[in-house]
Amino acid sequence: MAILEATRLAKRFGPVTAVHDVSITVAEGEVAALLGPNGAGKSTTLHMLLGLITPDAGTITLFGMELARHRVEALSRVNFAASYVDLPGPLLVQEVIDVFARFYAVRRPKERVAEMIELLELGPLRRRRLMDLSSGQRTRVQLAKALVNAPRLLVLDEPTANLDPDAGDRIRGLLSRVARDSGAAMLITSHNMREVERMCDRIHFLAEGRVVAAGSAAELAGHYGAEDLEGVFLKVARG
Amino acid sequence: MTALPLHPDPAPALTLPPLGFAARRSRVLGVVRRDFAALRRSPIRIFEILFWPTVELLLWGFVTLFLRTQRVPFVVAFLLGAVLLWQVLQKASNEISIAFLEDIWSRNLLNVQVSPLSSTEYLVGLVLFSLGKVVFAVAMMAGLAYALYGFGVTSLGVGLVPFMGVLLLLGWSLGLVGIAAVLRFGENAQVIAWSLVFVVQPLAGIFYPVSVLPAPLRAVSWFLPASHVFEGMRTVMAGGAVPWDRLAWAGALDVVYLALTLALYAWALGYARRHGKLSRFGD
Repeated sequence: MAILEATRLAKRFGPVTAVHDVSITVAEGEVAALLGPNGAGKSTTLHMLLGLITPDAGTITLFGMELARHRVEALSRVNFAASYVDLPGPLLVQEVIDVFARFYAVRRPKERVAEMIELLELGPLRRRRLMDLSSGQRTRVQLAKALVNAPRLLVLDEPTANLDPDAGDRIRGLLSRVARDSGAAMLITSHNMREVERMCDRIHFLAEGRVVAAGSAAELAGHYGAEDLEGVFLKVARG
Repeated sequence: MTALPLHPDPAPALTLPPLGFAARRSRVLGVVRRDFAALRRSPIRIFEILFWPTVELLLWGFVTLFLRTQRVPFVVAFLLGAVLLWQVLQKASNEISIAFLEDIWSRNLLNVQVSPLSSTEYLVGLVLFSLGKVVFAVAMMAGLAYALYGFGVTSLGVGLVPFMGVLLLLGWSLGLVGIAAVLRFGENAQVIAWSLVFVVQPLAGIFYPVSVLPAPLRAVSWFLPASHVFEGMRTVMAGGAVPWDRLAWAGALDVVYLALTLALYAWALGYARRHGKLSRFGD
């Protein structure tokens, strides 16, 4: 069953066509990626799917509900993390997670906060202010926030962009476990092709605002005659 | 790492029905808790709540002490009362704008906007928290005014509550205009959010009667709820009755302005979504 169906999305900003005729489907439990060079329209597409940007054309359906009409119900089952988004710096780690537990109307927020702190190994940091944490530690708090409502769809825009290889590997491991154990679907953008190969079932390649290819990593490599996803990326990016 | 405390179907077990009252209350209180936690963790911001009102109170307090020596009737109480009520208006306006701007400054706006928090819930949360800060600041100033100058805010009598109510509503409307300006024009419009309330100051007859204004400005002043509050305050302090007719007019203007500014906010948010401006805040 598709939990996300975006059909023929289009968005222009003045003379620039950011997204043109993009259709994406994410099935329950699927980990999908949105790849493409800078300016391909990945973030614009993700932001349309999250209701941050209103499309000029096309429809977005989440869990069978049209996003434009059922924003609160649909977004209750989604969550989001991105490398370019932060959380309120003065708050303690446990306060940040608690606040978002309340935004997502979690029934027993204190218990859930404790679970997230344990899951993300944030125990020693729980009484530290966000502004005093390293980027790797902040990414873990962002993921705790993103998982606090046990989302059915997790949208991640370059989740490991600012992390060192060790921290990035830990986050990838965690996300893979989340996908496997919870059955949550994920939609990810990344410039790390190994990360995408390791985690994603299906990949949508965007170039100049259009989906130019879609399939598994192996299918795409075969289609483009490339050794791996990085080779596919280079061929797509260079036309 | 521990076993994943994740739920195969979270809707019934983990979270409240999203459109129910309990979920709405949870989201509104989430906004209040967030702003309270941010304030509690920032001693400089607590200092700032009291600093400017205290400076203003001291400044005008000494002016009134001077005027007292000049035997100017009623002026002492007029000015101190005006300073206190002006703070209600200014703080109501600025606090709501600042709470929104802090989401931009901390690059948290996207997290808020992709959550199920509705615009109404977000604004109600901001208003509730700003109300707490205004009450705290004014209570502190009222205590100082009494301790330093012997001015008791209770001299405003039963009019005090409606006076403050009218100013709070106007302040929140002005704050919403500031937020709408930032949503429409981007972060550069922050100056509007800060300064809009000062446009009201010369026109509302805060420190002088409206009658001293030129005729065209007096006409404008008639449509400012704050003018009726400050005129009413002077009437009460001079021994007159609370001018309920003026307060009713001011309250009606407040309701109209609040409705208009809510519509403006909704339009500006829609504009920001259509033009991709939400995505660019904090870049």
